[in-house]
Amino acid sequence: MNSLSSLMYMAYFDFAVKYRKTMIGPVWVLMGPTLFILTLGLLFGEVSNAQAEVFIPHLAIGLIVWTLVSGFVSGSTTVFQRHRAQILQGGMTLIDIVVVDVLKIGLLFMHQVLIVVAVMIYFQIEWSVYSWVSLFGLLILVVNGVWLTLFFGMIGSRYRDLTEVVAAVMRIAFLATPIIWLPEERSSDGVVGLFLSFNPFFHFLDIVRAPLLGDTISAVSWTVVVALSLCGALITVAFYRRLRYRVPLWV
Amino acid sequence: MDYLIKADNVSLRVPMLIPADRQLLSNPLRFISDLYLGRSSRGVSDLLQGVSLTLKPGQRIGLIGQNGAGKSTLLKLLAGIYAPTTGSLEVNGVVKGLFDISLGMNPEATGLENIYIRGLQMGLSLGEMRDRVPQILEFSELQTVIEKPLNTFSTGMRLRLAVALSTMVIPEILLLDEWIGTGDLGFRDKVRAKMLSVVDGAKGMMLATHNVELMKSLCDECLVIHQGSVVFAGDLDIGLKFYEEEIHERASAKSLLCEAEQS
Repeated sequence: MNSLSSLMYMAYFDFAVKYRKTMIGPVWVLMGPTLFILTLGLLFGEVSNAQAEVFIPHLAIGLIVWTLVSGFVSGSTTVFQRHRAQILQGGMTLIDIVVVDVLKIGLLFMHQVLIVVAVMIYFQIEWSVYSWVSLFGLLILVVNGVWLTLFFGMIGSRYRDLTEVVAAVMRIAFLATPIIWLPEERSSDGVVGLFLSFNPFFHFLDIVRAPLLGDTISAVSWTVVVALSLCGALITVAFYRRLRYRVPLWV
Repeated sequence: MDYLIKADNVSLRVPMLIPADRQLLSNPLRFISDLYLGRSSRGVSDLLQGVSLTLKPGQRIGLIGQNGAGKSTLLKLLAGIYAPTTGSLEVNGVVKGLFDISLGMNPEATGLENIYIRGLQMGLSLGEMRDRVPQILEFSELQTVIEKPLNTFSTGMRLRLAVALSTMVIPEILLLDEWIGTGDLGFRDKVRAKMLSVVDGAKGMMLATHNVELMKSLCDECLVIHQGSVVFAGDLDIGLKFYEEEIHERASAKSLLCEAEQS
Protein backbone atom coordinates (compact mmCIF):
# COMPACT_ATOMS: atom_id res chain seq x y z
CA MET A 1 0.00 0.00 0.00
CA ASN A 2 1.29 3.40 -0.91
CA SER A 3 0.64 6.39 1.31
CA LEU A 4 -2.42 8.50 0.65
CA SER A 5 -0.34 11.55 -0.19
CA SER A 6 1.53 9.58 -2.88
CA LEU A 7 -1.78 8.46 -4.35
CA MET A 8 -3.00 12.05 -4.35
CA TYR A 9 0.07 13.21 -6.23
CA MET A 10 -0.47 10.43 -8.78
CA ALA A 11 -4.06 11.49 -9.34
CA TYR A 12 -2.99 15.11 -9.60
CA PHE A 13 -0.26 14.32 -12.14
CA ASP A 14 -2.72 12.36 -14.27
CA PHE A 15 -5.27 15.12 -14.09
CA ALA A 16 -2.79 17.88 -14.90
CA VAL A 17 -1.24 16.02 -17.82
CA LYS A 18 -4.63 15.27 -19.34
CA TYR A 19 -5.36 18.94 -20.00
CA ARG A 20 -1.79 19.85 -20.91
CA LYS A 21 -2.37 20.31 -24.61
CA THR A 22 -5.68 22.14 -24.29
CA MET A 23 -5.74 25.92 -24.41
CA ILE A 24 -7.77 26.69 -21.32
CA GLY A 25 -7.14 23.47 -19.45
CA PRO A 26 -9.58 22.17 -16.85
CA VAL A 27 -11.93 25.10 -17.53
CA TRP A 28 -13.41 22.75 -20.12
CA VAL A 29 -14.92 20.64 -17.37
CA LEU A 30 -16.98 23.70 -16.43
CA MET A 31 -18.14 24.53 -19.95
CA GLY A 32 -20.14 21.38 -20.63
CA PRO A 33 -22.29 21.39 -17.48
CA THR A 34 -22.74 25.19 -17.63
CA LEU A 35 -24.12 25.02 -21.17
CA PHE A 36 -26.33 22.09 -20.19
CA ILE A 37 -27.75 23.87 -17.16
CA LEU A 38 -28.32 27.16 -18.97
CA THR A 39 -30.00 25.61 -21.99
CA LEU A 40 -32.15 23.18 -20.07
CA GLY A 41 -32.96 25.72 -17.37
CA LEU A 42 -34.21 28.25 -19.91
CA LEU A 43 -36.02 25.66 -22.02
CA PHE A 44 -37.83 24.01 -19.12
CA GLY A 45 -38.64 27.40 -17.68
CA GLU A 46 -40.64 27.99 -20.84
CA VAL A 47 -42.33 24.62 -21.33
CA SER A 48 -43.15 23.73 -17.74
CA ASN A 49 -44.54 25.74 -14.90
CA ALA A 50 -41.52 25.12 -12.70
CA GLN A 51 -39.99 28.26 -11.29
CA ALA A 52 -36.39 28.96 -12.29
CA GLU A 53 -35.26 29.49 -8.70
CA VAL A 54 -36.51 26.01 -7.83
CA PHE A 55 -35.62 24.15 -10.98
CA ILE A 56 -32.16 25.49 -11.82
CA PRO A 57 -30.50 24.78 -8.42
CA HIS A 58 -32.16 21.36 -8.48
CA LEU A 59 -30.79 20.76 -11.96
CA ALA A 60 -27.31 22.15 -11.28
CA ILE A 61 -26.64 20.21 -8.08
CA GLY A 62 -28.22 17.10 -9.57
CA LEU A 63 -26.13 17.24 -12.71
CA ILE A 64 -22.81 17.86 -10.97
CA VAL A 65 -23.38 15.10 -8.41
CA TRP A 66 -24.53 12.83 -11.22
CA THR A 67 -21.27 13.50 -13.09
CA LEU A 68 -19.39 12.33 -10.01
CA VAL A 69 -21.51 9.21 -9.56
CA SER A 70 -21.51 8.23 -13.22
CA GLY A 71 -17.77 8.93 -13.34
CA PHE A 72 -17.27 6.30 -10.63
CA VAL A 73 -19.60 3.78 -12.23
CA SER A 74 -18.51 4.20 -15.84
CA GLY A 75 -14.80 4.31 -15.06
CA SER A 76 -14.95 1.36 -12.69
CA THR A 77 -15.37 -1.43 -15.24
CA THR A 78 -12.13 -0.65 -17.07
CA VAL A 79 -10.02 0.59 -14.16
CA PHE A 80 -7.70 -2.43 -14.08
CA GLN A 81 -7.38 -2.77 -17.84
CA ARG A 82 -6.24 0.85 -17.98
CA HIS A 83 -3.59 0.17 -15.35
CA ARG A 84 -2.35 -3.14 -16.69
CA ALA A 85 1.30 -2.06 -16.63
CA GLN A 86 1.15 -0.97 -12.98
CA ILE A 87 -0.49 -4.26 -11.98
CA LEU A 88 1.99 -6.47 -13.82
CA GLN A 89 5.03 -4.61 -12.57
CA GLY A 90 4.03 -4.86 -8.93
CA GLY A 91 4.48 -1.80 -6.74
CA MET A 92 0.83 -0.79 -6.70
CA THR A 93 -1.93 -2.87 -5.18
CA LEU A 94 -5.38 -3.00 -6.74
CA ILE A 95 -6.66 -0.76 -3.94
CA ASP A 96 -3.98 1.84 -4.71
CA ILE A 97 -5.07 1.90 -8.33
CA VAL A 98 -8.71 2.23 -7.36
CA VAL A 99 -8.03 5.08 -4.94
CA VAL A 100 -6.06 7.00 -7.58
CA ASP A 101 -8.93 6.63 -10.03
CA VAL A 102 -11.49 7.76 -7.45
CA LEU A 103 -9.33 10.75 -6.50
CA LYS A 104 -9.00 11.70 -10.16
CA ILE A 105 -12.77 11.76 -10.57
CA GLY A 106 -12.95 13.69 -7.29
CA LEU A 107 -10.59 16.33 -8.70
CA LEU A 108 -12.89 16.78 -11.67
CA PHE A 109 -15.82 17.13 -9.29
CA MET A 110 -14.02 19.73 -7.19
CA HIS A 111 -13.73 21.90 -10.27
CA GLN A 112 -17.39 21.45 -11.14
CA VAL A 113 -18.50 22.35 -7.62
CA LEU A 114 -17.77 25.94 -8.65
CA ILE A 115 -20.88 25.77 -10.83
CA VAL A 116 -22.98 24.75 -7.84
CA VAL A 117 -21.47 27.56 -5.78
CA ALA A 118 -22.23 30.07 -8.54
CA VAL A 119 -25.83 28.88 -8.85
CA MET A 120 -26.34 28.98 -5.09
CA ILE A 121 -24.99 32.52 -4.89
CA TYR A 122 -27.07 33.66 -7.85
CA PHE A 123 -30.31 32.27 -6.41
CA GLN A 124 -29.32 33.36 -2.89
CA ILE A 125 -29.64 29.92 -1.34
CA GLU A 126 -28.42 30.21 2.19
CA TRP A 127 -25.92 27.89 3.81
CA SER A 128 -27.50 26.61 7.00
CA VAL A 129 -26.37 24.21 9.69
CA TYR A 130 -28.38 21.51 7.95
CA SER A 131 -26.42 22.09 4.74
CA TRP A 132 -23.35 20.47 6.31
CA VAL A 133 -25.17 17.15 6.02
CA SER A 134 -24.53 17.49 2.31
CA LEU A 135 -20.77 17.22 2.84
CA PHE A 136 -21.33 14.12 4.95
CA GLY A 137 -23.44 12.73 2.11
CA LEU A 138 -20.63 13.50 -0.30
CA LEU A 139 -18.19 11.61 1.89
CA ILE A 140 -20.51 8.59 1.84
CA LEU A 141 -20.68 8.89 -1.94
CA VAL A 142 -16.90 8.88 -2.33
CA VAL A 143 -16.46 5.93 0.03
CA ASN A 144 -19.04 4.06 -2.03
CA GLY A 145 -17.07 5.03 -5.12
CA VAL A 146 -14.08 3.14 -3.75
CA TRP A 147 -15.78 -0.20 -3.17
CA LEU A 148 -17.82 0.14 -6.33
CA THR A 149 -14.74 0.79 -8.46
CA LEU A 150 -12.91 -2.11 -6.86
CA PHE A 151 -15.87 -4.46 -7.26
CA PHE A 152 -16.82 -3.56 -10.82
CA GLY A 153 -13.15 -3.34 -11.73
CA MET A 154 -12.55 -6.94 -10.69
CA ILE A 155 -15.69 -8.27 -12.35
CA GLY A 156 -15.16 -6.06 -15.41
CA SER A 157 -11.62 -7.30 -15.95
CA ARG A 158 -12.99 -10.83 -16.28
CA TYR A 159 -16.29 -10.10 -18.05
CA ARG A 160 -15.78 -7.27 -20.48
CA ASP A 161 -19.54 -7.30 -21.09
CA LEU A 162 -19.94 -5.28 -17.92
CA THR A 163 -18.75 -2.11 -19.64
CA GLU A 164 -21.58 -2.36 -22.15
CA VAL A 165 -24.15 -3.15 -19.47
CA VAL A 166 -23.07 -0.23 -17.33
CA ALA A 167 -23.15 2.19 -20.26
CA ALA A 168 -26.71 1.14 -21.09
CA VAL A 169 -27.89 1.28 -17.48
CA MET A 170 -26.32 4.66 -16.78
CA ARG A 171 -28.05 6.25 -19.76
CA ILE A 172 -31.45 5.12 -18.51
CA ALA A 173 -30.61 5.90 -14.89
CA PHE A 174 -29.85 9.51 -15.82
CA LEU A 175 -33.38 9.92 -17.14
CA ALA A 176 -35.00 7.90 -14.36
CA THR A 177 -33.36 9.97 -11.64
CA PRO A 178 -34.91 13.36 -10.88
CA ILE A 179 -32.19 15.56 -12.35
CA ILE A 180 -33.78 17.11 -15.41
CA TRP A 181 -37.26 16.78 -13.91
CA LEU A 182 -38.78 17.64 -10.56
CA PRO A 183 -40.55 14.98 -8.54
CA GLU A 184 -43.97 16.32 -7.62
CA GLU A 185 -45.60 16.20 -4.21
CA ARG A 186 -47.93 13.39 -5.13
CA SER A 187 -45.22 11.34 -6.83
CA SER A 188 -44.36 9.39 -3.70
CA ASP A 189 -46.89 6.84 -4.84
CA GLY A 190 -47.76 5.59 -8.30
CA VAL A 191 -45.34 4.80 -11.06
CA VAL A 192 -43.00 7.70 -10.36
CA GLY A 193 -42.85 6.69 -6.71
CA LEU A 194 -41.69 3.23 -7.70
CA PHE A 195 -39.09 4.77 -9.98
CA LEU A 196 -37.72 6.74 -7.08
CA SER A 197 -37.87 4.06 -4.40
CA PHE A 198 -36.12 1.43 -6.46
CA ASN A 199 -33.56 3.77 -7.92
CA PRO A 200 -30.44 3.70 -5.73
CA PHE A 201 -29.02 6.66 -7.61
CA PHE A 202 -31.92 8.80 -6.41
CA HIS A 203 -31.19 8.02 -2.76
CA PHE A 204 -27.47 8.70 -3.09
CA LEU A 205 -28.18 11.92 -4.95
CA ASP A 206 -30.75 12.97 -2.39
CA ILE A 207 -28.43 12.78 0.62
CA VAL A 208 -26.18 15.34 -1.09
CA ARG A 209 -28.77 17.54 -2.77
CA ALA A 210 -31.64 17.74 -0.30
CA PRO A 211 -29.63 19.39 2.53
CA LEU A 212 -28.43 22.13 0.20
CA LEU A 213 -31.96 22.90 -0.98
CA GLY A 214 -33.38 22.69 2.52
CA ASP A 215 -35.48 19.62 1.73
CA THR A 216 -35.74 16.75 4.15
CA ILE A 217 -34.12 13.42 3.41
CA SER A 218 -36.58 10.57 3.76
CA ALA A 219 -35.88 7.70 6.10
CA VAL A 220 -36.11 5.39 3.10
CA SER A 221 -33.16 7.19 1.47
CA TRP A 222 -30.99 6.86 4.58
CA THR A 223 -31.90 3.20 4.93
CA VAL A 224 -31.12 2.42 1.31
CA VAL A 225 -27.83 4.35 1.41
CA VAL A 226 -26.62 2.75 4.63
CA ALA A 227 -27.73 -0.73 3.58
CA LEU A 228 -26.16 -0.48 0.13
CA SER A 229 -22.93 0.96 1.51
CA LEU A 230 -22.54 -1.80 4.07
CA CYS A 231 -23.59 -4.66 1.81
CA GLY A 232 -21.51 -3.36 -1.07
CA ALA A 233 -18.43 -2.93 1.07
CA LEU A 234 -18.79 -6.37 2.63
CA ILE A 235 -19.37 -8.13 -0.67
CA THR A 236 -16.42 -6.31 -2.18
CA VAL A 237 -14.14 -7.39 0.67
CA ALA A 238 -15.26 -10.99 0.17
CA PHE A 239 -14.69 -10.81 -3.58
CA TYR A 240 -11.38 -9.01 -3.13
CA ARG A 241 -10.06 -11.83 -0.95
CA ARG A 242 -10.94 -14.34 -3.64
CA LEU A 243 -10.16 -12.43 -6.80
CA ARG A 244 -7.24 -10.10 -6.07
CA TYR A 245 -4.68 -12.51 -7.48
CA ARG A 246 -6.88 -13.42 -10.42
CA VAL A 247 -7.10 -9.88 -11.76
CA PRO A 248 -3.46 -9.82 -12.98
CA LEU A 249 -4.27 -12.89 -15.06
CA TRP A 250 -7.34 -11.26 -16.59
CA VAL A 251 -6.12 -7.80 -17.52
CA MET B 1 15.84 -16.39 8.61
CA ASP B 2 17.90 -18.82 6.66
CA TYR B 3 16.15 -18.30 3.37
CA LEU B 4 14.78 -15.41 1.34
CA ILE B 5 12.22 -17.34 -0.65
CA LYS B 6 10.83 -20.75 0.11
CA ALA B 7 8.27 -22.24 -2.21
CA ASP B 8 6.85 -25.61 -1.37
CA ASN B 9 4.95 -27.59 -3.98
CA VAL B 10 3.51 -24.46 -5.54
CA SER B 11 1.02 -24.74 -8.38
CA LEU B 12 -0.69 -22.07 -10.40
CA ARG B 13 -3.82 -23.14 -12.17
CA VAL B 14 -5.88 -20.59 -14.04
CA PRO B 15 -9.27 -20.82 -15.67
CA MET B 16 -9.05 -20.09 -19.35
CA LEU B 17 -11.44 -19.46 -22.16
CA ILE B 18 -10.63 -21.54 -25.14
CA PRO B 19 -12.23 -20.13 -28.28
CA ALA B 20 -14.01 -22.71 -30.39
CA ASP B 21 -12.18 -23.88 -33.46
CA ARG B 22 -12.68 -21.05 -35.86
CA GLN B 23 -11.82 -22.85 -39.05
CA LEU B 24 -10.76 -19.62 -40.63
CA LEU B 25 -8.68 -21.62 -43.02
CA SER B 26 -11.68 -23.26 -44.62
CA ASN B 27 -13.84 -20.16 -44.66
CA PRO B 28 -12.60 -16.73 -43.59
CA LEU B 29 -16.19 -15.53 -43.03
CA ARG B 30 -16.61 -18.01 -40.20
CA PHE B 31 -15.38 -15.41 -37.76
CA ILE B 32 -18.60 -13.46 -38.25
CA SER B 33 -20.77 -16.30 -37.04
CA ASP B 34 -18.29 -16.91 -34.22
CA LEU B 35 -18.62 -13.33 -33.10
CA TYR B 36 -22.30 -13.81 -32.27
CA LEU B 37 -22.36 -17.49 -31.42
CA GLY B 38 -18.89 -17.44 -29.80
CA ARG B 39 -18.82 -21.01 -28.65
CA SER B 40 -15.86 -20.87 -26.39
CA SER B 41 -15.28 -23.58 -23.88
CA ARG B 42 -13.96 -23.15 -20.38
CA GLY B 43 -10.95 -25.02 -19.32
CA VAL B 44 -8.18 -24.87 -16.81
CA SER B 45 -4.59 -24.39 -17.62
CA ASP B 46 -1.76 -25.42 -15.32
CA LEU B 47 0.85 -22.73 -15.61
CA LEU B 48 2.98 -24.12 -12.81
CA GLN B 49 2.87 -27.56 -11.24
CA GLY B 50 4.44 -28.59 -7.96
CA VAL B 51 7.29 -26.12 -7.99
CA SER B 52 9.53 -26.22 -4.93
CA LEU B 53 12.51 -23.98 -4.51
CA THR B 54 14.50 -22.08 -1.92
CA LEU B 55 16.53 -18.96 -2.41
CA LYS B 56 19.08 -18.46 0.35
CA PRO B 57 20.97 -15.25 1.06
CA GLY B 58 23.84 -14.84 -1.37
CA GLN B 59 22.35 -17.28 -3.83
CA ARG B 60 21.88 -16.42 -7.48
CA ILE B 61 19.67 -18.81 -9.36
CA GLY B 62 19.29 -18.92 -13.10
CA LEU B 63 16.04 -20.06 -14.65
CA ILE B 64 16.40 -22.14 -17.78
CA GLY B 65 13.59 -23.22 -20.03
CA GLN B 66 12.03 -22.88 -23.42
CA ASN B 67 9.69 -20.08 -24.37
CA GLY B 68 6.42 -20.59 -22.55
CA ALA B 69 7.89 -23.00 -20.03
CA GLY B 70 6.71 -20.82 -17.13
CA LYS B 71 9.82 -18.82 -16.23
CA SER B 72 8.15 -15.42 -16.30
CA THR B 73 5.06 -16.78 -14.58
CA LEU B 74 7.19 -18.19 -11.79
CA LEU B 75 8.97 -14.87 -11.34
CA LYS B 76 5.68 -12.99 -11.23
CA LEU B 77 4.39 -15.45 -8.68
CA LEU B 78 7.47 -14.94 -6.52
CA ALA B 79 7.05 -11.18 -6.87
CA GLY B 80 3.58 -11.49 -5.36
CA ILE B 81 1.66 -10.51 -8.48
CA TYR B 82 0.08 -13.94 -8.78
CA ALA B 83 -0.74 -16.12 -5.81
CA PRO B 84 -0.24 -19.88 -5.80
CA THR B 85 -3.40 -21.96 -6.24
CA THR B 86 -1.99 -24.67 -4.01
CA GLY B 87 1.22 -25.01 -2.06
CA SER B 88 2.91 -22.53 0.20
CA LEU B 89 5.13 -19.60 -0.58
CA GLU B 90 7.15 -17.70 2.00
CA VAL B 91 9.09 -14.60 1.17
CA ASN B 92 11.38 -12.83 3.63
CA GLY B 93 12.41 -9.47 2.33
CA VAL B 94 11.54 -6.80 -0.17
CA VAL B 95 11.10 -8.35 -3.60
CA LYS B 96 11.39 -6.42 -6.78
CA GLY B 97 10.89 -7.84 -10.20
CA LEU B 98 12.01 -6.03 -13.31
CA PHE B 99 9.33 -6.98 -15.81
CA ASP B 100 8.52 -4.96 -18.94
CA ILE B 101 10.29 -1.96 -17.51
CA SER B 102 9.38 0.44 -20.29
CA LEU B 103 5.64 -0.05 -19.89
CA GLY B 104 3.42 2.17 -17.81
CA MET B 105 4.87 5.56 -18.59
CA ASN B 106 2.65 8.45 -19.54
CA PRO B 107 3.63 9.61 -23.05
CA GLU B 108 1.99 13.02 -22.63
CA ALA B 109 3.87 13.83 -19.43
CA THR B 110 7.41 15.14 -19.50
CA GLY B 111 10.38 12.96 -18.70
CA LEU B 112 10.71 14.58 -15.31
CA GLU B 113 7.04 14.04 -14.49
CA ASN B 114 7.40 10.43 -15.50
CA ILE B 115 10.30 10.09 -13.09
CA TYR B 116 8.07 11.29 -10.26
CA ILE B 117 5.05 9.24 -11.34
CA ARG B 118 7.08 6.08 -11.59
CA GLY B 119 8.80 6.71 -8.30
CA LEU B 120 5.46 7.22 -6.55
CA GLN B 121 4.18 4.02 -8.12
CA MET B 122 7.19 2.20 -6.74
CA GLY B 123 6.24 3.37 -3.26
CA LEU B 124 8.71 6.22 -2.78
CA SER B 125 7.56 9.56 -1.43
CA LEU B 126 7.79 12.79 -3.36
CA GLY B 127 10.67 13.94 -1.14
CA GLU B 128 12.64 10.74 -1.66
CA MET B 129 12.14 11.09 -5.38
CA ARG B 130 13.35 14.68 -5.38
CA ASP B 131 16.64 13.50 -3.89
CA ARG B 132 17.00 10.82 -6.50
CA VAL B 133 16.29 12.93 -9.58
CA PRO B 134 19.87 14.27 -10.06
CA GLN B 135 21.24 10.74 -9.87
CA ILE B 136 18.68 9.49 -12.43
CA LEU B 137 19.41 12.38 -14.77
CA GLU B 138 23.11 11.84 -14.52
CA PHE B 139 22.83 8.16 -15.24
CA SER B 140 20.40 8.47 -18.14
CA GLU B 141 22.22 11.50 -19.63
CA LEU B 142 18.89 13.08 -20.48
CA GLN B 143 19.40 16.44 -18.73
CA THR B 144 18.77 18.44 -21.90
CA VAL B 145 15.48 16.82 -22.88
CA ILE B 146 13.96 15.91 -19.55
CA GLU B 147 11.46 18.79 -19.61
CA LYS B 148 10.01 17.62 -22.92
CA PRO B 149 7.06 15.24 -23.25
CA LEU B 150 7.99 11.59 -23.28
CA ASN B 151 6.48 11.01 -26.72
CA THR B 152 9.19 13.23 -28.22
CA PHE B 153 11.89 10.91 -26.84
CA SER B 154 13.55 8.40 -29.12
CA THR B 155 13.17 4.71 -28.31
CA GLY B 156 16.70 4.61 -26.99
CA MET B 157 16.17 7.61 -24.75
CA ARG B 158 12.99 6.12 -23.36
CA LEU B 159 14.81 2.90 -22.56
CA ARG B 160 17.57 4.79 -20.79
CA LEU B 161 15.01 6.49 -18.61
CA ALA B 162 13.30 3.17 -17.90
CA VAL B 163 16.60 1.56 -16.92
CA ALA B 164 17.58 4.49 -14.71
CA LEU B 165 14.20 4.36 -12.97
CA SER B 166 14.00 0.65 -12.42
CA THR B 167 17.51 0.40 -11.03
CA MET B 168 17.31 3.32 -8.63
CA VAL B 169 16.20 1.13 -5.74
CA ILE B 170 18.25 -1.89 -4.82
CA PRO B 171 15.89 -4.56 -3.50
CA GLU B 172 16.73 -7.38 -1.16
CA ILE B 173 15.48 -9.96 -3.60
CA LEU B 174 15.91 -9.20 -7.28
CA LEU B 175 13.89 -11.02 -9.90
CA LEU B 176 15.03 -10.44 -13.45
CA ASP B 177 13.04 -11.47 -16.47
CA GLU B 178 15.70 -11.19 -19.13
CA TRP B 179 18.80 -9.18 -18.52
CA ILE B 180 18.52 -5.48 -19.24
CA GLY B 181 21.13 -4.48 -21.74
CA THR B 182 20.43 -1.73 -24.16
CA GLY B 183 21.45 1.44 -25.89
CA ASP B 184 24.35 2.59 -27.97
CA LEU B 185 27.83 1.29 -27.29
CA GLY B 186 28.81 3.82 -24.64
CA PHE B 187 25.58 3.45 -22.73
CA ARG B 188 25.62 -0.32 -22.88
CA ASP B 189 28.67 -0.48 -20.64
CA LYS B 190 27.09 1.93 -18.24
CA VAL B 191 23.93 -0.16 -18.05
CA ARG B 192 25.97 -3.28 -17.53
CA ALA B 193 27.91 -1.72 -14.68
CA LYS B 194 24.68 -0.44 -13.13
CA MET B 195 22.93 -3.77 -13.43
CA LEU B 196 25.90 -5.56 -11.89
CA SER B 197 25.87 -3.14 -8.98
CA VAL B 198 22.17 -3.81 -8.43
CA VAL B 199 22.79 -7.54 -8.57
CA ASP B 200 25.67 -7.20 -6.11
CA GLY B 201 23.58 -5.08 -3.79
CA ALA B 202 20.72 -7.55 -3.66
CA LYS B 203 20.84 -10.35 -1.13
CA GLY B 204 19.52 -12.88 -3.61
CA MET B 205 18.67 -12.97 -7.26
CA MET B 206 16.79 -15.04 -9.76
CA LEU B 207 17.44 -14.49 -13.43
CA ALA B 208 15.60 -15.88 -16.40
CA THR B 209 17.55 -15.52 -19.61
CA HIS B 210 18.45 -17.39 -22.74
CA ASN B 211 21.93 -15.92 -22.70
CA VAL B 212 24.04 -18.83 -21.47
CA GLU B 213 27.29 -16.87 -21.15
CA LEU B 214 25.61 -14.25 -19.01
CA MET B 215 24.02 -16.84 -16.80
CA LYS B 216 27.35 -18.56 -16.32
CA SER B 217 28.97 -15.30 -15.28
CA LEU B 218 26.25 -14.34 -12.79
CA CYS B 219 24.62 -17.45 -11.40
CA ASP B 220 25.92 -20.39 -9.50
CA GLU B 221 22.84 -22.56 -9.46
CA CYS B 222 19.95 -23.14 -11.76
CA LEU B 223 16.43 -24.43 -12.12
CA VAL B 224 15.40 -26.06 -15.36
CA ILE B 225 11.71 -25.53 -16.01
CA HIS B 226 9.76 -27.54 -18.51
CA GLN B 227 6.04 -27.20 -19.07
CA GLY B 228 5.46 -25.60 -15.72
CA SER B 229 7.44 -28.01 -13.56
CA VAL B 230 10.95 -27.92 -12.23
CA VAL B 231 12.75 -30.83 -13.87
CA PHE B 232 16.20 -30.07 -12.53
CA ALA B 233 17.57 -28.05 -9.65
CA GLY B 234 21.19 -27.70 -8.73
CA ASP B 235 24.57 -26.88 -10.17
CA LEU B 236 24.51 -24.53 -13.13
CA ASP B 237 26.82 -26.43 -15.48
CA ILE B 238 25.06 -29.73 -14.94
CA GLY B 239 21.71 -27.97 -15.37
CA LEU B 240 22.72 -26.37 -18.64
CA LYS B 241 23.97 -29.71 -19.91
CA PHE B 242 20.76 -31.40 -18.80
CA TYR B 243 18.72 -28.76 -20.59
CA GLU B 244 20.75 -29.10 -23.78
CA GLU B 245 20.54 -32.86 -23.86
CA GLU B 246 17.15 -33.67 -22.45
CA ILE B 247 14.82 -30.86 -23.37
CA HIS B 248 16.34 -28.94 -26.20
CA GLU B 249 17.35 -32.01 -28.18
CA ARG B 250 14.12 -33.79 -27.54
CA ALA B 251 12.15 -30.76 -28.68
CA SER B 252 14.13 -30.48 -31.88
CA ALA B 253 13.86 -34.22 -32.41
CA LYS B 254 10.12 -33.92 -32.00
CA SER B 255 9.84 -31.11 -34.54
CA LEU B 256 11.97 -33.15 -36.94
CA LEU B 257 9.62 -36.05 -36.44
CA CYS B 258 6.61 -33.84 -37.17
CA GLU B 259 8.20 -32.57 -40.32
CA ALA B 260 8.93 -36.13 -41.39
CA GLU B 261 5.35 -37.14 -40.73
CA GLN B 262 3.98 -34.24 -42.70
CA SER B 263 6.12 -34.86 -45.74
